[in-house]
Amino acid sequence: MKPRCFVAAAIALLSLAASSAYAGSDSETIAADGRQQVAKIIPGQSTKADVQSLLGAPWRVVQFNDCGMAMDGQADETWEYRGADASGGYRLHVEFGDNKVVHLIAKIPDAIPGGAATEAKVAPSEPAKGMSM
Amino acid sequence: MIRGLASIPLIAFALATPAFAQAYPPDGPSIPSIAISEEGSHDLNLQAPPPPKGWDQESAWNIKVEGFNDNQGRPIYQPLIVNQNGREILYLGNLAGNLLNPLTGKAEPNGTSIIDVTDVKHAKYLFHIPGPPGDVGNAGAQMVRVCSGDVLPHGEKGKWYLLRAYGNVGPDEAHQIWDVTDPAKPTLLTTIVSGLSNTHKNWWECDTGIAYLVAGSKSDGWHQSGSAQHLKIYDLSDPKAPVYIRDFGLVGQQPDADIATAKSCEAAPGPNCYEGIKNPPGGVHGPISMGTTVNRIYLPYGVGENGVIQIVDRQKLLSGCTLPTASPNCAQSPTQAELLYPQVGFVTMNPDNGGHSAMPILGVPMWQEQHNYADGSWQKKNLLIISSESTANNCLGQAPHEAWILDITNDATPWPIATLNVPQYPGDFCRKGARFGAHAVTEAIYPPYYGKIIGVSWFNAGARIWDIRDPKNPKPIAYYIQAPNANTIASCATIDGVAHCQNTTMNDYVEFDDRGYIYAADRAGSGVTILSLTGDALKSFRPADPLLPAQKH
Repeated sequence: MKPRCFVAAAIALLSLAASSAYAGSDSETIAADGRQQVAKIIPGQSTKADVQSLLGAPWRVVQFNDCGMAMDGQADETWEYRGADASGGYRLHVEFGDNKVVHLIAKIPDAIPGGAATEAKVAPSEPAKGMSM
Repeated sequence: MIRGLASIPLIAFALATPAFAQAYPPDGPSIPSIAISEEGSHDLNLQAPPPPKGWDQESAWNIKVEGFNDNQGRPIYQPLIVNQNGREILYLGNLAGNLLNPLTGKAEPNGTSIIDVTDVKHAKYLFHIPGPPGDVGNAGAQMVRVCSGDVLPHGEKGKWYLLRAYGNVGPDEAHQIWDVTDPAKPTLLTTIVSGLSNTHKNWWECDTGIAYLVAGSKSDGWHQSGSAQHLKIYDLSDPKAPVYIRDFGLVGQQPDADIATAKSCEAAPGPNCYEGIKNPPGGVHGPISMGTTVNRIYLPYGVGENGVIQIVDRQKLLSGCTLPTASPNCAQSPTQAELLYPQVGFVTMNPDNGGHSAMPILGVPMWQEQHNYADGSWQKKNLLIISSESTANNCLGQAPHEAWILDITNDATPWPIATLNVPQYPGDFCRKGARFGAHAVTEAIYPPYYGKIIGVSWFNAGARIWDIRDPKNPKPIAYYIQAPNANTIASCATIDGVAHCQNTTMNDYVEFDDRGYIYAADRAGSGVTILSLTGDALKSFRPADPLLPAQKH
């Protein structure tokens, strides 16, 4: 393959990867230099496209709208990224509302002694809500 | 003697149960006979459930872990274990999502997982049938049923067929049949019906082929509150050639109901009324047919609120639209009278609870009534174990959701006789994160358990097992709460202005196989755990023992 073709193919592959909403690879952890990107995700403002642009494709996507019911929050889509820092492994948990805008983000350690809660960031207008999944 | 029996490994009972010899629903019309040799749980002096360990730890009481599979990190809705010619295959319907399938190296929308659990200690993930592509909100394949071609009237001998919901709430969901004769290489056989929305939990009578599909559609005109779904009944006796029979639901859901002016059938019976307390009534969740001999179908409506439990005459349901008097559009748009024709009875729940599961347990000896009532002989009752689904994290904004035992001996007048409850304390379950409350009742008929124990999934309080041999006084006998792991999806809530997330497992379904193993499937992506009973729980289904003091009463 000629160098120019190789570069084009590489760009095409990278573009394809970036355009895929769900890559779901264990290797897709948040890089050390990507942690600053996390701080740019603003609940109430950032969109799916913004998050994908900042962090790439998520490790896992889930949605719990199991009964087709219009239950508050059940249509929320959650993107998860794996990461690790000096404290150990963690997951970045990003929830999108029906409008495809981030409404909650949290960095959740894989192991939390006692199962205690981890504080999350939400938009200032976020109402009391218990139906995130 | 009893102590000795309690130490017998569970598998001993499995050896006494020939694989696939039973013809109980959904494979046949027989109902297991429930022996009367037991004394009921009163004689066991069962201990109260011990408090669970910390929120981040596994807790087990009278139960032990036999095996585990991580299900690739996919959140599970429904497990189904099928003995395929001596090979035990676990089918898992998964909730919507998207994740890497390590077997293919590709990200796949969540669909149906197929796992060989013949050796429970070495469960092997065989195949993932993907769910619908595209918007993840439309995806998932939560429900699964399997029939043998040897049992289906027009199935191909030697084949195995899988019925599944394909998608959930999108505009073009479907129900499909797959050939799973080789569970490692499933192939799509046919799409029964597409253009649906809100697919949900089906029931498939293998011995007749009749399938009760749950779904709605954007254009069929049916009315439901909340979960917009009703029954779509098909003859799948030849899985390659589905035959539509009819749609069915509660009075007040039919397309020609004038919901703007409808009134309660109880308060104002008339040609335009609705059953229950919600106009229009909530959608059906998942029917169970007890087959041709019992001739009854049990239907829970409402899921988690404004529930109705309905009992229907199976034969009248299937034949109603073929009567000479049937209206021209009876199948798709029945009249109120055509919906009432097969109805045997119903009971209205309270606004805070809905019908999620309705599992019939028929012919249960009532040991407290054997003497001093009636003629002194053993009394038997038919029971219906129902549950309401908890839907809120951290109990926020909801009343408790529980399970109940209904007396349906007179099936025109169902009536509750007991509550199956898990207390909030000890365990502090409302602060543990995720949902706390009932979800689903075990549905598999495993004769040694049938009429003696029942399981109910209780989300963050785990898989819960009760001894129901004295059904007016059910006793908890075992539980299992899975510890969160690296795949557990955090549950988040905003309470008093503070948003927080917790790694908490949620037991979505607990189910039995035909060896007595118990499967605890996690909704939060933490996998499926295979369990067996130990300790006092084993005594709840001990075999008849002439040395037991049953005759003393």
